[in-house]
Amino acid sequence: MYKKFENYLVDTLNSPAKKKKILWATLFAFIFAVALIPTKLVLAKMLPGKNNDTYTVYLDLANGSSIEQTRHVSECVVNVLQKEPEALDTEVFLGTGSPLDFAGLIKGSHFKNSENVAEVVVNLTKKHHRDEPSYMMVQRLRPVIQKECGNIYPQTNIKFIEPPAGPPTMAAIVAEVYGNKAEGIRHLAERVEGVFKKTEGLVDIDIMQDEIYDKFEVRVNTDKISKSGLDIKHVNDILYLAFEGMGVAVKNSQNATEQIPIFLTLTPEGKKFSSRDKNAIDIKLASLTLLNQMGMMVPITEIVEIVAVKSNPMIMSKDLHQMTNVLAETDMVSQVYPLMAARNTILDTFGDEYEITKTGLFNLQLVDKKTKEIYDLKWDGEMKVTLDTFRDLGGAFIAALVLIFLLMVVYYKSFVLSGIVLLGSFLSIIGVITGHGIVDIFTVDTFFLTATSLIGFIALIGISSRNSLLLIDFTKSLMVDKGMHKTEAIAYATATRAKPIFLTAAAIILASTLLASDAVFGGLGVSLIFGTIAAVIASLLVVPVLIHNSDLERHFNFHERKAVSIMEP
Amino acid sequence: MHAPHSYKPTDAAGKLAKGFLRNPLTPILGIFLLIIGYIALMLMPREENPQMVVSGSTVIVALPGATASEVENVIVKPLERKLKEIKGIEHIYGMAMDNVAVINAAFYIGEAKEDSNLKIYDKIMQNMSILPKGAMQPIIKPLDIDVDIPIVSVAFYSNNPKMDPTVLYDHVKEIQHHINGLPNVAVTDIKGAKKHQYNVLVDMNRLSGYNLSLGQIVMATQSLAYNVPEIKGKTQDNKIVMIGVRNAIESVEDVGNIIVAQYGGSAIYLRDVATITSGSDIQNFKSALVSAKEDQTFSPLKDQITLTVSKLQGTNAVNIADAVKEELEKYKEQMKAEGINYVITRNDGERANEAVNELVFHLLLSIVIIAILLIFVLGWRESLIVTFTVPAILAITLFIAYLTGQTVNRITLFAFLLSLGLLVDAAIIVIENIHRHFHAPDAHERDADELMIEATDEIGAPTNIATLAIILTMVPMAFVGQMMGQFMKPIPANVPVALIASLFVAYIFTPYLAVRLLKKPAPHGESH
Repeated sequence: MYKKFENYLVDTLNSPAKKKKILWATLFAFIFAVALIPTKLVLAKMLPGKNNDTYTVYLDLANGSSIEQTRHVSECVVNVLQKEPEALDTEVFLGTGSPLDFAGLIKGSHFKNSENVAEVVVNLTKKHHRDEPSYMMVQRLRPVIQKECGNIYPQTNIKFIEPPAGPPTMAAIVAEVYGNKAEGIRHLAERVEGVFKKTEGLVDIDIMQDEIYDKFEVRVNTDKISKSGLDIKHVNDILYLAFEGMGVAVKNSQNATEQIPIFLTLTPEGKKFSSRDKNAIDIKLASLTLLNQMGMMVPITEIVEIVAVKSNPMIMSKDLHQMTNVLAETDMVSQVYPLMAARNTILDTFGDEYEITKTGLFNLQLVDKKTKEIYDLKWDGEMKVTLDTFRDLGGAFIAALVLIFLLMVVYYKSFVLSGIVLLGSFLSIIGVITGHGIVDIFTVDTFFLTATSLIGFIALIGISSRNSLLLIDFTKSLMVDKGMHKTEAIAYATATRAKPIFLTAAAIILASTLLASDAVFGGLGVSLIFGTIAAVIASLLVVPVLIHNSDLERHFNFHERKAVSIMEP
Repeated sequence: MHAPHSYKPTDAAGKLAKGFLRNPLTPILGIFLLIIGYIALMLMPREENPQMVVSGSTVIVALPGATASEVENVIVKPLERKLKEIKGIEHIYGMAMDNVAVINAAFYIGEAKEDSNLKIYDKIMQNMSILPKGAMQPIIKPLDIDVDIPIVSVAFYSNNPKMDPTVLYDHVKEIQHHINGLPNVAVTDIKGAKKHQYNVLVDMNRLSGYNLSLGQIVMATQSLAYNVPEIKGKTQDNKIVMIGVRNAIESVEDVGNIIVAQYGGSAIYLRDVATITSGSDIQNFKSALVSAKEDQTFSPLKDQITLTVSKLQGTNAVNIADAVKEELEKYKEQMKAEGINYVITRNDGERANEAVNELVFHLLLSIVIIAILLIFVLGWRESLIVTFTVPAILAITLFIAYLTGQTVNRITLFAFLLSLGLLVDAAIIVIENIHRHFHAPDAHERDADELMIEATDEIGAPTNIATLAIILTMVPMAFVGQMMGQFMKPIPANVPVALIASLFVAYIFTPYLAVRLLKKPAPHGESH
């Protein structure tokens, strides 16, 4: 069989037309493979979803919502989750975050401390005993829960947080809106949110800003307060005591684990306002009295005035620039494509209010046409991590190529041969990309080209350069030591090395099949399997043709001499 | 068997093969390698995800009464500028809210944790003077992934809905202390706790009926609940007499008996104007609920208290989780008697162990598959030789990983799986060349040892260079930055080690085993 292959190679190498055919076919395959990426037949993503035994639902009601309202929504979510046969238990954490996890650390779960937030943790049966991966379950339940529980109170935001496959990020897509005016940022952020909501594939959209709600301010009449012999601290203390309550003293206890505070406040009924307006507050406050220095009782309403105001939203800044985040998660798709779609929509539709210029790779600068205020829109989150990772891995890839090239130059003292080794190893990309395309056809959900695919590709360069190297080395020893002619030497070397090349390739492919079934490292497995196949074809067909085309005699200092018979089995 | 000329190895490969081929220490070395590898696998801490060095701190400054924009101008902006002076900070996030400022400083991934924490603390303390008047002492909370992220969480709940939540809290608090005492447990925390408290709920109508103000009630309560140290006196013959002034409040009834005012000789007690109960902290809006599956149906949501346990850096999550489980078992019956149940809601130790075991199984399966492949192509003796080299290589790699303080996690094992296809190559190439030489026409005339050394030596140079090439592709991966770089660090850290180990093992053990296991074919019994 190897003899047949050797004869075929001799035949091919002796015919320039056949050599050309092989090179053209290679070039065509290469262009075809690379073209799969811009045509979106193969989609790129940093890391695919991971099948987990747990996930968390973040509830975020409008600012100013009460804990009872939050509980109401949480119960609704738990009700839906409990209908799942695969759910084992659910925990609700009201007003605070759940026990911290990797994702929560980045998403700020440990800072949660208000009545309008809650987290629901659901534990599922072990993934081996479950048919449906957790990410599919989340995708299925998300619309159900949002429909049933998201509309109980307006502006309720429900997010699904899955433990990430790789490093956690704030969200799949984060649009940072920078500017100098809070109102301008708010307006632009809301417009961006509107775009996200219309973009296909984006879910769990949220602006990281406080809703502005109505509140009341107690303004002290300075004249009256000094005339009545009271002070502002006194007023504040009493109001706080009445409605929030205060621990006024403690009792040390021998039995309890901690000191016992004595907590003083009004009765729950006494605290309740009849409605949320100025009148109701006036009536309630009228019954609160203060004891002044002269020992007289002064109703609080005598010295204060109630004014309806708007709440002060939180002001956020990043690296000393004021900004607001607009967050979105992706629904089982790569974040790259919805982001580009959203960016295009912004470019197309925001022209009515803003002058838009592109900055950086994907970032935008928007200048308000009326006020000439400058706003910046920058992308962060998983998108930025993806770009950084692909850039770094791309850099690592180029560095690997350069290092291998230098190594080959040192070893062969020839640029041409080193170039051939490099070119040969680069061809494994054909297998990597088409392999992803093929697997994508056969899998239910999208099979992405991920960061791990790139790692596989980088490893492949080494593997296929080794194949070429063994080939060239053997050819060299045949020519130099045994005095064979170029064509025969190449053909014989290729045919002889075919066996170990096949063997090592088979070992890699077999070792990678188990990788290929993993959610996260599937890309690596597929890269190695299909890349190795391409690398084998490249080493056994393309590399011999390429080295045959080069002036081997000169590179090896080959001198014609009487050929030694090497007719071996 | 006579050697007409002794083969002189030119490459390190041939020299190694020659040196170990007839050395009695070779098998001992082999067994030793396998043993240290196994020990390393057992000793190395197991985790699900690789360790990441993430440093950062949160600075919280309260300024009561200030609006968000005031807080921004007087606290957030000046502090942000000061933090900007610190080297190594990647991003500064500022949040200005009514009454409080929160500033988050995130360091570049990989910056040393202790140094970073110190830098922030130092910078804030140096600049205390720029904080505005009325601002409270800044709270600096460093981020610590290992300590902050619990590996085990347990939800305790009572089956008796009438049970006082503070009783549950007392029980959990007791267990917390025991669990905190287990080795390598770093932090235990309680979520959803309801603490003891005497609640004085003042009825506003009765208050105005007696013409009293809230301030009077506060003063009356405070005047009786005051703790003082004991007084020391002496008798005439110099003996010490201790006099303690008892806090007047001993029980919840005492609170009710506080006299808040007197009207014409009749006293008004606190209980006259307020309802006083010994209960839990009603002002705490935070709570936790649980609903677990019992006999295929979910129980309704019940109040629960979650106990979380985190581990010290670099310790074995599996062992700690098991120890916590065991400790809980001790109290199970006792708690059951009181109507308290618990459910483990997070067990990262179990998760890590499962992930690791699954991957180890995959690794073994891959080795078996490759061995079967080799049996068909090369023959069972050759296959056996190559199969032996794999555990030896993995053992060396594991041991070096253990020495460099790595943990066994998902990514380490993926690095092994990735290198598995690569590390059998050297052995395959050597055995294939030996095989070829053995079947060469002149093989029967030559000494087996000579053939081994020559076959190994021949492919030494290209194999070395080829392996070096693969190693070179892995090295740049170590320089990938950000979290992703940290996350996949085990790959560039372990694959090159495995590849170098594969060369040594291939050159030392393959010829050693081949010369003992393989048989030269009969001079004319050629198969081709």
